[in-house]
Amino acid sequence: MTTVLELKQVTKTFGSGHKKVEALKETDFEAKRGELIAIIGPSGSGKSTFLTIVGGLLSPTSGEVILNGQNVTEMSEKQRSHIRLQEIGFILQASNLIPFLTVAKQMKLLDKVKKNNMTGDEIEQLYEDLGIGELRGKYPSDLSGGERQRVAIAKSLYSNPSILLADEPTASLDSDRAYEVMELLQRETKSKNTTSIVVTHDTRLISYCDKVYNMTDGVLKLYEENA
Amino acid sequence: MFLAWNEIQKNKLRFVLITGVLMLVAYLVFFLSGLATGLKDLNRESVDKWKASGIVLTEESDKSLYQSSMSIEQLDDVQADETAILGQLSAIAGNGEEKANVSIFGIREDEFIMPEVTEGDAFTGDNEVIADSSLKESGFIVGDELQLSSSEEKLKIVGFTDKGRFNASPVLYTDLDTLQRVKFGEGAQTNADRINAIVIKGDMLDDLINDEKLEVVEIETFIENLPGYTEQNLTLTFMIYFLFAISAIIVAIFLYVLTVQKISMFGVMKAQGISNLYLSKSVIAQTFILAAIGVLVGLGLTLVTGAFLPAAVPVSFDIPTMLIYGSVLILVAIIGAVFSVLTIVRIDPLKAIGG
Repeated sequence: MTTVLELKQVTKTFGSGHKKVEALKETDFEAKRGELIAIIGPSGSGKSTFLTIVGGLLSPTSGEVILNGQNVTEMSEKQRSHIRLQEIGFILQASNLIPFLTVAKQMKLLDKVKKNNMTGDEIEQLYEDLGIGELRGKYPSDLSGGERQRVAIAKSLYSNPSILLADEPTASLDSDRAYEVMELLQRETKSKNTTSIVVTHDTRLISYCDKVYNMTDGVLKLYEENA
Repeated sequence: MFLAWNEIQKNKLRFVLITGVLMLVAYLVFFLSGLATGLKDLNRESVDKWKASGIVLTEESDKSLYQSSMSIEQLDDVQADETAILGQLSAIAGNGEEKANVSIFGIREDEFIMPEVTEGDAFTGDNEVIADSSLKESGFIVGDELQLSSSEEKLKIVGFTDKGRFNASPVLYTDLDTLQRVKFGEGAQTNADRINAIVIKGDMLDDLINDEKLEVVEIETFIENLPGYTEQNLTLTFMIYFLFAISAIIVAIFLYVLTVQKISMFGVMKAQGISNLYLSKSVIAQTFILAAIGVLVGLGLTLVTGAFLPAAVPVSFDIPTMLIYGSVLILVAIIGAVFSVLTIVRIDPLKAIGG
């Protein structure tokens, strides 16, 4: 399997002097195509810092982040913004959707801002895979929490990004919905042969993942590997 | 445009409100500009009709037609392509029922400031006058005998001309002799050569005269020095400029509030890699749509109102001026949107992830 993402000796410290906080201690990490990886840990453990560094939103204090062979750490903000657009699919806790666009128009927006666009048939397929075809004329405020998260996943999968980053994707969902969303992520990761990293403190979800890392006080450790 | 338009469609009420405010501002701007043009016309249309380049007044009159007095012989000292003599008197004229403040112009009918008659005939005999058509609206008709406040002489309206108002008074055009009789009474004979000004046509205004008691005044300067003219204009212009500033601020505040409400949404979009440029363009496009609709509706409303106003209200719509003001309104609205653009640029996408 090809390596999509590689972190080499990445650290992140905030502040300086006696206020210095080491949010992320020296971390090496690797993710391959087709892998669904969970990162669990209590809040404040540094898992969001990890996700934002991987997502190119935050520059590491030291070390390198290599995404698809490109060194993200050396890029300008503008280039990183471009990488985020073309290579990364984000699924965030809430408000991932634009409130004044219908489901179909959320997709249309991506169609306008991204390069390698999906064809109409591919989008249809995506709707079908995620079971949101019925929802396309609806606004986010008319959707249930689970439906919203499914649409968010569809958005993040648009034009097949190299990597999916999900920040607490099940936070506002009840158990059944949470399992549904995780199943969906698992299925899409496998079928699209992409890489998904899910940050969560919900340990119920780890059974869906290929690898589970535990983050405690800025130290990332492999916790479980499901064969 | 895509984001801008879809947001407007989804949140109609709030965008109708801001468009409504812009529409009212535009309405006021257009109306004030109409009033400004109308008041200008009231003062200057008889002068504009001359299509003259300058006017010769005495140096000591300080550019006032009323205070200028010269001899007709001084015409010899003026070398212009075309000249026309002008005697003037302000008076109250009444036909027995109505009274009006008028300005009497004594002219020669073969010179270029002679007005075109639109109704009736030109003056031919003694004490005959052509009156400005605005007097018709005040109840004067052809054939009316006019008593004057300052003279025993009676004038007779033989015809009307349009666009003949000077310094807010309708003009009665007559020959110089009649004017002298009205103006000087028994002294008319001795004062027969007194005129107020010489109106000139021609390209060159320098070195036209070799009399240092006379001065050539450019026609625009002459108009600006009409009593009250500049003050009136400045007042209205000042109000219009103030409205430009107000609309910029209204738009700035409104859009800024909307933008602040959407900070997390913009954060998410930026995290997803949608560029500042795209988001900024969207806000600008939105402002443009709102301002353009507001201005167009305001323009329509102004023209409709204008059509229903009584003639006594001095409004006259100068479409090119209104188009310029409309464009300026749209432009200042867009300047108001710049604050929101700056806010968007400063949003840290990191916040969207919730650190």
